[in-house]
Formats: sequence, structure tokens, C-alpha cells
Amino acid sequence: MLAIYKKELRAYFNSIIGWLFIAFFLAFIGIYFFLDNLYYGYTHFGYSLYSVGLIFILLVPMITMRIIAEENKQKTDQLLLTSPVSVEKIIMGKYLAVISVFGVVMLITCTYPLIMSLYGEVNFAMNYAAIGGFFLMGCAYLALGTFISAVTDSQALAAVATFIVVLISYLMEGIASLFSTSARTAWLVFAFLLLLVALLTWIMMKSKIVTGAFLVISQGAIAAVYFLKPTLLEGSVVNVFDWFSVEARYADFVNGILNVADVVYYITFVVLFISLTVQAMKKKRWN
Amino acid sequence: MIEVKDLVKKYDNHLAVDHLTFTVPRGQILGFLGPNGAGKSTTMNIITGYISATEGSVSINGHDIYEEPEEAKKSIGYLPEQPPVYTDMTVKEYLGFVAELKRVPKKEREPQIASALAKTGTVDVAKRLIKHLSKGYRQRVGIAQAIIGNPEVIILDEPTVGLDPVQIIEIRDLMKELAKEHTVILSSHILSEISAVCDTVMIINNGRLVVSDTVENLPQHLNAQNSCRVVIKGTEDLVKPLMEELEDVKELSLEGDGEFVTVTVTSDSQVDLREDIFFACARAGLPIYEMSNVTRNLEDIFLELTRSEETTEELPTEGEIKEESEENADVSDL
Repeated sequence: MLAIYKKELRAYFNSIIGWLFIAFFLAFIGIYFFLDNLYYGYTHFGYSLYSVGLIFILLVPMITMRIIAEENKQKTDQLLLTSPVSVEKIIMGKYLAVISVFGVVMLITCTYPLIMSLYGEVNFAMNYAAIGGFFLMGCAYLALGTFISAVTDSQALAAVATFIVVLISYLMEGIASLFSTSARTAWLVFAFLLLLVALLTWIMMKSKIVTGAFLVISQGAIAAVYFLKPTLLEGSVVNVFDWFSVEARYADFVNGILNVADVVYYITFVVLFISLTVQAMKKKRWN
Repeated sequence: MIEVKDLVKKYDNHLAVDHLTFTVPRGQILGFLGPNGAGKSTTMNIITGYISATEGSVSINGHDIYEEPEEAKKSIGYLPEQPPVYTDMTVKEYLGFVAELKRVPKKEREPQIASALAKTGTVDVAKRLIKHLSKGYRQRVGIAQAIIGNPEVIILDEPTVGLDPVQIIEIRDLMKELAKEHTVILSSHILSEISAVCDTVMIINNGRLVVSDTVENLPQHLNAQNSCRVVIKGTEDLVKPLMEELEDVKELSLEGDGEFVTVTVTSDSQVDLREDIFFACARAGLPIYEMSNVTRNLEDIFLELTRSEETTEELPTEGEIKEESEENADVSDL
């Protein structure tokens, strides 16, 4: 694992990508830090970070696009997968490397509250909680990007897909608020989403029985809930969509609330996508 | 030691590997031979644990590749069809990474890298970026990568592709050298290469084992026959009755240009007609200018064995096999 971690770090810093990522990130954070905190004198760095969150849409694909897709393309995955290292360790090594590059940015921003304190009273706990929350949010997005990179062997495709997914996740709160909270809407939306999942299982497994069974059971279940207990569905679309809004969870951190649920949410998100990445790599064996 | 049992790999409805079973004892060089698309790379990918088999099992030194992948992979060095090199690393960095990946103890890394560089003739390019290397050098770096960590089993998929004739000879010598301490499996669609290096040859076609035997014994798997070509001074009407008088002749063809007659006589493999021909000509007072035994070379064997398979399966096409034989001919000329 250490070998892969070191190799990845070297790849980021030998090429321009690692430096570019750090430079862009710091530049954006710097602009907001200068305007909000230094110029207008807000004592809370979290506000700046909240505005900077949008930059993930661009920077996450930039740093995760090559992480596994490039191995797939250059067939170097053959070296990794035939070496005496488990798939879990390979993915962990890679993911930790990306996190480390991002960590460099966050470490540098850790000095910003200190800079602010030179000019007045600063609540350090609140500021560092905001930085910690921002780091967790970044980790979640990077896990998502890593997963997308694992399912393709084209860097460009991985970049575009990650861009779109992060963008959707970012807009998810807005999208969710567009839907009415009625049970009928919920039924239609979920029925449609389950149809998409069924389509995906068909593409992945090409098994009529599994897809058919899934379709019948899932659509039957959602229809049953609608007719038997419609109250259960009321407002659920908004709730489900909100779950995918990685960015919405950050609001608590900005407001100075360290909510355990938010921390658990981010960690769950990372674990989910990293294990999906491992599964995607393992699945290749069976193709 | 490698044990492969009843290996099957199915892609949708296509059988890429069809019930292959074989064992490779320690210290042996086994050659996989077969036309393109015969299932050589697939089999190697399964043995090394890159892809999984639909059925059957592979065990390396008693460790099942599926049950205990990390243990099994420890004793394998693998050069896939395309050398798995990181183009943005220098050769030395790359080998350092591979050594670390294969958990070579820190103290041994430097000497092992140095010896791999020396063995594959890549010392001169050690400090260059792999993306600036030619195909032949990348291939050699790929081989260097496979021998790092001193694995007991070395598996090389078409190791001499892209190399020039001098390099091919070097790599062949390297493989012979490696076989002293390692078990080696290599694949090729070039017969002369396999016969130059390997103890045992497995000919595979359409995923099935056609023949598995030592190089020397291969001719026995053919419809054996003896054939002899003679050039005699004289006219056709003089030579023809003479040859027809000979016993055990199965096939006879004559071609005369007035002064000389070229005769080709075929008999069963146990029968050697050369003495009979000599005495017959001597009695008739016809001088023999040339006489040679027409032995069938390994190329013929390969073609015949893989072609007879084709009567049951359509792939690969005749054209492909012809291309193969042309390639074979090219290399055997070297």
C-alpha cells in the first residue's frame, strides 16, 4: 500500500496536476479569504470556505480523473492486480494519495485563522471546525471521483462524468426543492428512479431473470406503499435528494455546529464509494 | 510448480479456454504455442490472477490463485502482452516501485534492480523516462520488472515481440539462464523461438490443447512418413521404370529437363529408401548428382496440427494461419 501511495504522490507532483490543483485551490480560497475575512472583516473563515465549495466541481475531476482510468488504459493495472497486494490496499493507497494532496491545501489554510487573529478576536474552535468540515466534504467528493475513474478507462470520460455528478450533487438541494412534497410526486419519481436502476442492472448483468425480478418487486413495493400508506411518501423526495447533497451537510459546520450526524454522513459517503471502487476493480476479473 | 486443472474461460458464448489441464514442474521452461487468438494470453492472465476462470483451478506452489491470491502472486513474475510500464517514470524509478510493490526487503532492492537491469541489457537507459524508450526497450523493461523479487515462477507473454534479431537472441539466452533457477512459462506464435528455448511445448488452438510434448518428440504426432529427393542424370524414360521397381514406395513424382531428372519418393517413416535408390541407379549406370532426405520442420508440424483442428472449428481463418507461417518463416531465417 505504501508503495502505491508513494507512487501516486510522485505522479501528482512530478506532473503539473498536483501543483495546479493546489495552486488553483489556494488561489480561490485566497480570493474569498481576502474579500470576506480581511477586507470586510468577518471573523469566521467558514463563510469563505462555503463560497469556495463550488470549485470542487472543477477541481475534483481534475485530480481524480486519471487515478484509476489511466491504469486501465495503459494496462498497468495488470501489474498492480497481479502483484501480491490486495485490491483494497491498492485503492486505499491511491485514495490516501489524493487525500494527501488535498490535505496540503487544507494544512495551508489552517494558518488563515491565525492570520485573522492578528487583527482581532477570532473563535478558533469554530474556524477549525469549519476547516475540518470542508476537508471531510472534499474527501467525500474525492471518493466519488475515484469511483467514477475506476469504471472507465478514459480519463476524459471520467473527468466529464465526475464534473456532471459533482455538479448535480451541488445542485441537489435546489433540484429537490422543485419537487412538490405530495405522495403522488414521490411515487412517480421513485418509480422512475427504480426503472433506471433496473436498466443499469440489465446493462451490468445482462440477466433477464434478475432484472425482471428486480423491476417487478421494486415497482410493486413502491406502488404498494403509495396505495397503503401514502403518508410515508410525503416529502420523501426532498429528503432522499437532500441525502445526496454533499454540500448541504456543510452548512452546519459553517454555522459553528459540530453535528456528529454530518461527520458520520461524510465518513459513510467515503466508505461507500471506496468500497464501490474496490468492487468495480474486482468485477473486472470476472468480465 | 504450477498446476492447472480443467481450466475454462467463457466470454458470453465464446469459449476462449476449453478445459486446459497441465502441470509445469520446477525448473522447466514451458512454451505456449498457438496462432493469435488461441487463448494463450487468456490462460496466462488466469494463471497470474488478473482474470478469473469460469471453471477449473490454478495453484502456484500449492497456493490456489483464487483462494490465497496474495500468497500465490508472491511467487509469480509476469510480463503481460503489453508491458505494464508507467511512461512518466524513469526505468530505475519504475523498477524501484515494482520492487517495493513486490515487497522486496529494502536492503535487497538496489542489488536486485541492478541485476535486473544488467540481465535485460537496460543499464544504459536506466535514467531515461520510459516514454522516451523504443518498443524493444520497453519490452526489456517489462522483462526486468517480471524478474524483480526473484519469483519462483516467471510468466512471459510473447517476450520477444518488438525486439530486433540481436535482442531476440539475448533474451533467449536470458530465458535459458532464468530457467536454471526459475520455472518459466512463455508464449509465442513463433515456433522457432519456442523450439530454441523450451523443454516442453504446448500447442493450443481455439482454447484447446492440441499437443503437449517435448520439442524432440513433436514430429511423432504427425502422420509420419519419409520423403527423399534425388537428382539423377538421365532421361525420364530411363529413370521412371527404375523407381517403379522399388518396393514400399507410396508416392512418386518425376520431373525431367532432358539432362537431369528430379525424383521425389515418399515411403512410410520406418522405411529408408536411399540405399535402394543408390544401388538401383548404380546397376543401371545412372549417376546420382544429389540426394537429400526431406524432413518436415517444426513449422509444418505446427501448421498441420493447428489446421487439423480447424476442420471442427472455423476460427481462425486460413488467411490468418498463412500470415502466421510467413512470420514464422521470417524468423526462422534469422
